[in-house]
Amino acid sequence: MSDPLLALDDVYKSYGEEQVLSGVSFEMDAGDVDVVIGPSGSGKSTMLRCVNRLTEIDSGDIYLDGDCVTDADTDVNELRKQVGMVFQDFNLFAHLTALGNVTLGLRKVRGMDKATARERGYEHLEQVGLSDQADSYPAELSGGQKQRVGIARALAMDPKLLLFDEPTSALDPELVGEVVEVMRDLAAEGITMLVVSHEMGFARSAASDIIFLDEGRIVEHGPPEQLFENPQAARTGEFLSRLETTHEGE
Amino acid sequence: MPPLPLQSDWAFVVENLDLLIAGTGVTVALTVASILLGFLLGFPAGAIEVYGRGPLKRAVETAGVVLRGTPLLVIIILLFFGLSVSSSAFVTATIALGLRSAAYQSQIFRGALQSVDEGQLEAARAVGMGRFQAIRSVVVPQALRRSVPGFQNEFTIVLKDTSIAIVIGLGELLTVGQNLYQGGQSTAALEIFLTVSLIYFVLTFVTNRSLDRLDDRFSIPGGERA
Ligand SMILES: Nc1ncnc2c1ncn2[C@@H]1O[C@H](COP(=O)(O)OP(=O)(O)O)[C@@H](O)[C@H]1O
Ligand SMILES: [Mg+2]
Repeated sequence: MSDPLLALDDVYKSYGEEQVLSGVSFEMDAGDVDVVIGPSGSGKSTMLRCVNRLTEIDSGDIYLDGDCVTDADTDVNELRKQVGMVFQDFNLFAHLTALGNVTLGLRKVRGMDKATARERGYEHLEQVGLSDQADSYPAELSGGQKQRVGIARALAMDPKLLLFDEPTSALDPELVGEVVEVMRDLAAEGITMLVVSHEMGFARSAASDIIFLDEGRIVEHGPPEQLFENPQAARTGEFLSRLETTHEGE
Repeated sequence: MPPLPLQSDWAFVVENLDLLIAGTGVTVALTVASILLGFLLGFPAGAIEVYGRGPLKRAVETAGVVLRGTPLLVIIILLFFGLSVSSSAFVTATIALGLRSAAYQSQIFRGALQSVDEGQLEAARAVGMGRFQAIRSVVVPQALRRSVPGFQNEFTIVLKDTSIAIVIGLGELLTVGQNLYQGGQSTAALEIFLTVSLIYFVLTFVTNRSLDRLDDRFSIPGGERA
């Protein structure tokens, strides 16, 4: 019996008076792709950020590959080497080329020499279809290209788990496809991904499980067929039908 | 004594050009030394104002407020005659100008550091970089670029303010001009000080142009200019 790759156990988080996560628990196995959906402000970003400890939880435990990573004595930098993150606003390093963005972590964190890092960097840009843009700066790239660089940057660290926080919601509609396609490829390669996204096409085709988060609680958690076709909770159904109307025509 | 013809006043300036050039040398040296001292103190001070906390941060902020709130003339006189920090006028002038410049440069860097969006720092932390490493590799290079225009301005101000060292008798450009006027032909005042002004102007102009070049060289392709 092997440990789940990621497990959240009764995680609580509040900001001042506001309870943002209220007893969140779930597990995912290596190779799973879990998609988190839920209304704005329901705590989706906070939950992701707790996993790589950009945000500290108040109580509960988070385990990565069997190790509790929320202990006070956990080295957060060691944890983050194993957990990649892709941001809604890309957050590319503006002063570095696409290749520079991908290799910075390899050099400064993994301690690779320049030549090896460049080689690795190219491979990962290739993986997201951007090896021809290696020398472009972020400001010279389209939104879709920026996000693919963001994905390559996270992939390059060879993480056990990739976190995506609404990776396509800052993109013009016509640029969403290229990013989703890259994410599908990664899912097919067996990379473990925890994805906050309302891209229903991706969720239906690539997700192992869908997690519906509302007001800091997991309301429903199950495979896409079940959750989309036959939601158990009334809240889930309501949310999904609202989602359909707002996304209609896109 | 009949007034000398205008021509000889210019001739007087030309004859003493070597002295004026020597004074210019002192002015340039004082500017460079002061800017350098200002940078060495001002850059860390700006970083402490942004990233520091506690008593260190408060001490740096207070020092900045005091230095920016005191006339340079008062600082230099206080250091030289009041505290006698050094018997060398050049060293004293460098300290006065350097401290005052540090107080202003810290604000240039503070603003530049704050202008780099948080998300980039977060992305650097998310790949496993430590806070110091992330600031150094991601924020500082961008902040330095954005400091160039403010730095350009500060350079010009320091260059012109070196003339204040006249009050402690340092042989910089203005002092040389003043000595020529008092020790030689009093009728050449206009010619002497016009020449002095012209030299200051040429120095600031050339410096600004070179810093523009620096601005171009370090601008990020496709993005904002430095
Ligand atoms: N750093 C923070 N400080 C204070 N409140 C925060 C912070 N981050 C998030 N919140 C609050 O927590 C709630 C959940 O936010 P978030 O996790 O971003 O939701 P979601 O990603 O689902 O839209 C929101 O009400 C938000 O205002
Ligand atoms: Mg969010």
